Amino acid sequence: MIELRGVSKTVVSGSAPLTILHPLDLFVPAGQSLAITGPSGSGKSTLLGLIAGLDTPSGGEVIVDGQDITRLDEDRLARLRGEKIGFVFQFFHLIPSLTAFENVLVPMEIARRRDASARARALLEEVGLTGRGHHYPSQLSGGEQQRIALARALANDPGILLADEPTGNLDTANGQHIMNLLLGVNRQRRTTLVLVTHDATLAALAEAQLVLRDGRADRARSTALASAEMRPTP
Amino acid sequence: MTFVLRMAWRETRAAWRRLLFFFLCIAIGVGAIAALRSIIQNVRGVLVGQARTLIAADIVVSSAQPWTDAARNHIAAALDGVGPVIRAETIETATMARPADPAKPLARMVEVRGIDAAFPLYGSIDLAGGRRYSHALLEHDGVLVRPELLTQLDVAVGDGLVIGNRTFTIRGVIENEPGRRVGGFSLGPRVIIDRDAVGGAGLLTFGSRARYQILLRVEERRVERLVAHLKAQFRNTFIGVRSFRTTEDDLGDDLLRAENYLSLVGLIVVVLGGIGISSVTRVFLEQKLRSIAVLKCLGAGTRQVLAVYVVQVSLLGLAGSLAGLGLGRIALAAAPDQLGAGPSALPLSHALTPAAMLQAIGIGVLIALLFSLVPLLRVRHVRPSLLLRHEESRASGIDWVRYGVTALVVVAVVGLAAWQAASLRVGMAVGIGFGIVVFLLYAAGWLLVRLTARLDRVSWFPVRHAALHLHRPGNQTRLVLLAVGLGAFFIVGIRAVQVNLLREMAVDVGEDTPDMFLIDIQEDQAPGVHAMLRQRTGHDPRVIPVLRARITQVRGRETSLDTIEDIRGRGSLAREYTLTYRPRLERNEQIVAGRFWDGTPSDKPEVSIEESIRERFKIDVGDTIQFTVLGQPIDATVTSVRHVNWRDSRAGGFMFVFRPGVLEDAPHWYIAPVRGPADVGARARLQRDLVVAYPNVSVIDVREVLETVRGVVSNVTLGIAAVGGLVLFTGIVILVGAVAMTKFRRVYEAAILKTLGASARLVGAVLVLEYGILGTLAGIIGALAGSVLGWAVTRYVIQVPWRLPLGDVLASVVITAALVAVVGLLASADVLRGKPLATLRAE
Repeated sequence: MIELRGVSKTVVSGSAPLTILHPLDLFVPAGQSLAITGPSGSGKSTLLGLIAGLDTPSGGEVIVDGQDITRLDEDRLARLRGEKIGFVFQFFHLIPSLTAFENVLVPMEIARRRDASARARALLEEVGLTGRGHHYPSQLSGGEQQRIALARALANDPGILLADEPTGNLDTANGQHIMNLLLGVNRQRRTTLVLVTHDATLAALAEAQLVLRDGRADRARSTALASAEMRPTP
Repeated sequence: MTFVLRMAWRETRAAWRRLLFFFLCIAIGVGAIAALRSIIQNVRGVLVGQARTLIAADIVVSSAQPWTDAARNHIAAALDGVGPVIRAETIETATMARPADPAKPLARMVEVRGIDAAFPLYGSIDLAGGRRYSHALLEHDGVLVRPELLTQLDVAVGDGLVIGNRTFTIRGVIENEPGRRVGGFSLGPRVIIDRDAVGGAGLLTFGSRARYQILLRVEERRVERLVAHLKAQFRNTFIGVRSFRTTEDDLGDDLLRAENYLSLVGLIVVVLGGIGISSVTRVFLEQKLRSIAVLKCLGAGTRQVLAVYVVQVSLLGLAGSLAGLGLGRIALAAAPDQLGAGPSALPLSHALTPAAMLQAIGIGVLIALLFSLVPLLRVRHVRPSLLLRHEESRASGIDWVRYGVTALVVVAVVGLAAWQAASLRVGMAVGIGFGIVVFLLYAAGWLLVRLTARLDRVSWFPVRHAALHLHRPGNQTRLVLLAVGLGAFFIVGIRAVQVNLLREMAVDVGEDTPDMFLIDIQEDQAPGVHAMLRQRTGHDPRVIPVLRARITQVRGRETSLDTIEDIRGRGSLAREYTLTYRPRLERNEQIVAGRFWDGTPSDKPEVSIEESIRERFKIDVGDTIQFTVLGQPIDATVTSVRHVNWRDSRAGGFMFVFRPGVLEDAPHWYIAPVRGPADVGARARLQRDLVVAYPNVSVIDVREVLETVRGVVSNVTLGIAAVGGLVLFTGIVILVGAVAMTKFRRVYEAAILKTLGASARLVGAVLVLEYGILGTLAGIIGALAGSVLGWAVTRYVIQVPWRLPLGDVLASVVITAALVAVVGLLASADVLRGKPLATLRAE
């Protein structure tokens, strides 16, 4: 479950302040899939970064699993990400000095999981790359790298999966493959999925859509957005 | 923890090739420390274990005067009731020796040791050809000589050798003798005769310098108390008492000091490697920013990420240090197998000692860690949002942690230097000196790089691009300048000092300066010697009266030394001084305080002191110094302080000059500085004729001494130049490492240039120019700084006039430039060979 209350982001660009994201309320119930779309510079990636605690908002609260993450320091944020949030990037961002297998292993090692090796093998199998574990990222194709990145994001069984243009750097077939994997995870594991894309066909596959324009939600074009008032009382 | 260790291992696995060169620098330094420490520790182990043999006894009591009855009684009383005692007596003196064959016009100064049948109490005298030594060989005027004397005097075993006024027969050749200082200064080769023959040959006439020794062998448990007792007995005399333990301690101290100073050389190389590591860590981290952001995104805390890289650096530091031990072991294999020569030589181990290995490894790892710490702190500022958009990872505001850590590193390096030198003062001096040199080289590098920035306006493509490359982001320009420049700095500095020193020594023997000194001329011989010198050299020689005296009391405003113990506490003030008296100043003297007497004799003792005496011992005009001349105390008032130009030593230099009127009646003798004939044959004949006519007169041939000094200077400069070479080599290794480090960028740029139509030749020209400029700058910086070092050392430390050896300096710039250009080009071979498409695709 993700909840944003009046979250905004303003940066100083040159001498004038530039508002990337105007105050925004958003509620994503656990297990939902949400696509954030909009043209370049509309604030999609910024919003995703704020949800992941990769960035600090200029105002408002970001609540992940009932916890206001804007109050956490860097190290506790990192721990939270390690336990609860999986991340898939447009440019994969695998660690080039590690093999595919080791890339999947890392988050579990950080979280000190004892079954890390076995689980990494299982994840590689899940994304269909069992035989490629000993290869380095530079020896893999883009699609393969993104599947490894997905396996890595799932390593600690996070409740939330965030994806920033996960198919943006892939051809259509590979993009479709990744999208199927993401949605499969969302459905089978009931993982909350938030994905940023400007591909309308991909966005249509999600349960809900948030359309951003110039840092504001375009409510008229957004669909099936849940409201915070609808959440079940604890 | 397992995460940190695993990540460190994986990162090391991926990056070690690129980082290797920097750890090779650590390895060279660690190797130097381990090897130098080990070899001296091995030597010390051997020598200290043999301390008894070195002094040939348990206890040695020695004096510069013949034994008085009182002294003998004291010793006899002390030995009463200490159980079994074996004693031997020896006398040492320096004198001239010449072949008995009158057809051989040769004479040499030798160090005579007269021994009795009991000598040596420990160890053995070894003779060439495996002959056994027995005291019988010395009876009836037998003599044993060192092999070098045989060649110098063109004599053989069985020939006659005249020493003093007696002819001895050479009965054997000494290969090894106990009780001789290893590596000490000697006036000439050793000859051994019977103790009674020393006096018999007229070598103990008045004024001759002799050392009288009583050697004792007692039960081991008695040594310490006996030494203490004897020392107490001879407290206020100049009779010295030492045991083999003192020798052990002295030797140990000397060698320890040598060990500590030498390992500083290694430390400098390690620190240079450390600077390389610091710079390379910065570049390395630059390339790792994304990976760090990913780790943080996956849940790793800053501390964990920092730990990964700290462990990685430690691993590489350890690997470099272990490689260094390998290098050190290889270097040690080149050390001699044994100490000394002949059958009695002591076997010397080639092993690295555990202590040296431990220290060297510790330093290697520590320096690697210390120098990478500051750049690694940047890990703290890497934010995971970097993965979403490009952003700078800099701290906002003042980073106090960074400053704190930097200060800690500086303190730690000074601490390391102090630890290695075993002296805080030396550590500070080395640390600060090194810091200043590094800062100056760095600043000069910065300035010159700024100046070359203007070259990017040159229209010729290769020059413009070479200049641009020197400024590319993440460039290693200043690091290479520093590393190579430092090597050039040492070499140019040392070379400049050597050139000036050798030129100065050549000048000194030139013109009309004396090059032979006659000493121990007796009063009745003075007129004869004077006449002979005048006839043979054509000059009127100066024959100067001298006396030997010790200072036994000083009474002044700033210093009061009442007992001999006080004076001994002042170090060299306790030595025996040679005095003279004369009415006038010499040409090489000036009065700097007080007034020199007017030339008339006075029966009130007045003395003029040399200015260094005033500075070192705080004795000034108006103070009273008590001199003891042959047991007679003379209280003299200091009436003037002189500056002596020691380089112009025509008239000799004296620390103490008396006013005429007091010392004329005291027994004294003469010395004569002479400008000898230039012709080698004429010199040899003069020396021989002097020795034939006046057997007790010794001739010190300055030309020979200077030859020896020149040899020593060459050896020392060779040694220091080797250090410079080591530093320069380290600089070149750093250069190769820096090229490897930034190669990925260069390969990419070259690929783009080639795609745009540049030929391999053009790309090569850019590279040659880039490294040529870099090398020239490094050469200029090193040569400039080296010249300043040379000037400072020449002018203020050894105090000889300075002239810039322009040819050498220019040559060093050209050689450095060429070396860097060639090495840079070779290390960039891939850049030229690579096919552009593959490179561009990989990016």
